[in-house]
Amino acid sequence: MKKSLFDKIWESHVVEELPGGNALIFVDLVVAHEITSPQGINWIAKQFDDRLYDPNRIVSLIDHVAPAKDTATAIQAQLLRSWAKRHKLKFHDIGDNGICHVIVPEKGYVTPGMTIACGDSHTGTLGAFGTFALGIGSTAQAGAMLAQVLILQRPKVMKIEVTGKLAADTTAKDLVLTIIKTIGFKGGTGFALEYTGSAISALSMDERMTLCNMSIEAGATSGLCAPDEKTAAYLAETTLKPTNWTALQADPDAEYDRVVTIDGASVRPVVTWGTNPGENAPIDGEVPHDAAQQSLAYMGLTAGTSMKSIAIDQAFIGSCTNSRIGDLRAAAEVMRGRHVSVPTIITPGSVAVKRQAEREGLHDIFQDAGALWTHSSCGPCLGMSVGVIAPETRVVSSTNRNFPGRMGDGGRVHLASPQVVAASAILGRIASPSDVLAKDAVPA
Amino acid sequence: MIVSGAVLPIPRANIDTDQIIPAKHLTTIDDEGMGQYAFTGMTGGRDLLAEHPDAVVWVAGENVGCGSSREHAVWAIAGVGIKAVVAPSFARIFHENCYMNGVVPVIVDASLIERFAAAKTITIDVENETVQADDDAPIRFELDPARKPFVLHGGFLKFLNGKIPQIRAWEAARA
Repeated sequence: MKKSLFDKIWESHVVEELPGGNALIFVDLVVAHEITSPQGINWIAKQFDDRLYDPNRIVSLIDHVAPAKDTATAIQAQLLRSWAKRHKLKFHDIGDNGICHVIVPEKGYVTPGMTIACGDSHTGTLGAFGTFALGIGSTAQAGAMLAQVLILQRPKVMKIEVTGKLAADTTAKDLVLTIIKTIGFKGGTGFALEYTGSAISALSMDERMTLCNMSIEAGATSGLCAPDEKTAAYLAETTLKPTNWTALQADPDAEYDRVVTIDGASVRPVVTWGTNPGENAPIDGEVPHDAAQQSLAYMGLTAGTSMKSIAIDQAFIGSCTNSRIGDLRAAAEVMRGRHVSVPTIITPGSVAVKRQAEREGLHDIFQDAGALWTHSSCGPCLGMSVGVIAPETRVVSSTNRNFPGRMGDGGRVHLASPQVVAASAILGRIASPSDVLAKDAVPA
Repeated sequence: MIVSGAVLPIPRANIDTDQIIPAKHLTTIDDEGMGQYAFTGMTGGRDLLAEHPDAVVWVAGENVGCGSSREHAVWAIAGVGIKAVVAPSFARIFHENCYMNGVVPVIVDASLIERFAAAKTITIDVENETVQADDDAPIRFELDPARKPFVLHGGFLKFLNGKIPQIRAWEAARA
């Protein structure tokens, strides 16, 4: 049988087949952050003499609450620090850190064909490099640190081919939100999503990471893109081990469990109106007439409302979905010389992204516009530390989840691309970058 | 193992783990005490719990436990006495996390959820993989054979620990 890219990675990591379509899968790299790792660290310390299978196969870091906000999170960070120190792990503390899915490729830990697991649902981000990367629970992560394997049910493979090319005003975020809406909020459950086609090849690595990042929002185990010359160029700057990075490809006539084809030119900029990422609509459209009542009630919206008439209270650019340098450049282009009309937070995905942005002067553009330019962390995305929003306030956000309460109890989240967040921040309502330009064109 | 008892009926679709336990409570280094936060991210969630104080089986809708990988969601429901979740479909990570913590994930056809949500008592025979609403005829469901031992007896980490020599041999052969 002709094999998909996913099949090849899976089959090269099977230690043992198990009943029920399961296998013991070798994990090349475990990523451990301070929120979901402490329990497993403690279990291994107490039950297994603090023994790790291979300390070289763990990268640890502080990202969710960085720096600590209170005693409890300081204890989490301290536990991770002392664990990393006693095992001589690769460790990225505040000052040298970033959101795990941003910093792990940036520091050269990711190469095509790897399996990567982390107690964080957005680990699929790293599939952008032709890896099988997935989120797991704390116990599974403990198992992977102890024995370097996961018990996994082999997912089916869905080929998502995006043909043609995306329009100039359309981003990877719009594409992935469209894919989630197309296959359904749980339409990817039990699948790995293999992204292919000319519109995928045209995406930068930052954009591919955005795409793969949100595969989980369709329920998928993971998402992945085949490595190509862009992957190789990225890796050439981050890793000391140059090799034939693009060798790993799906067979030309690989068989898939499901094939979905999307015309890239048909994808439009979208914004969510509801309480899951699949509940989105074109930014030039309206809240759909068949919208779920429960979602509308939570969001304080009515069906038929024009998306661009929705006033916002706050804006946020950041998160593992859209906080890389390409995202910040796109936002800065919209914000340059303009001023925000609602409180706006911009949080780079890593220290390296922050420093690069500052070398390019993006921080001045943002701060001249009146936005808050912060240090790197997961920030307000999950309502865990700085930037939590108040009940019934409305934020347009470059993040990944618009679940009820996600960014703060009762808060209302509209997901969008960084460009749309920037334009919305300026106009105080959901807006396209072109609306900002149009406003400028009107004589005073 | 038999799980039997009162029902917590919240049969709506897409109850994500942020609703089961908001991230602001993920600040511990152990898995204790999460029950006090169970369903605090869901509007009216604590009221539902208060109306069903003896519940041991949560009846949920499609795609239960979607979103964040936080195992805290299972620790939270287990912390209020939930020993099984009956739903038409589970999000993958939540499903795996249930097995790890002795919370029985029971997948039944969506058409049966209304009946299970209305039951006074649900009885689950875990070994034999049957689930029963009140005195209705028991219905078959399937557990993942690779994970069934862990939901019955725990021991996941011990199992993997025992595999280490085999894993090292595999890794050596690969290199």
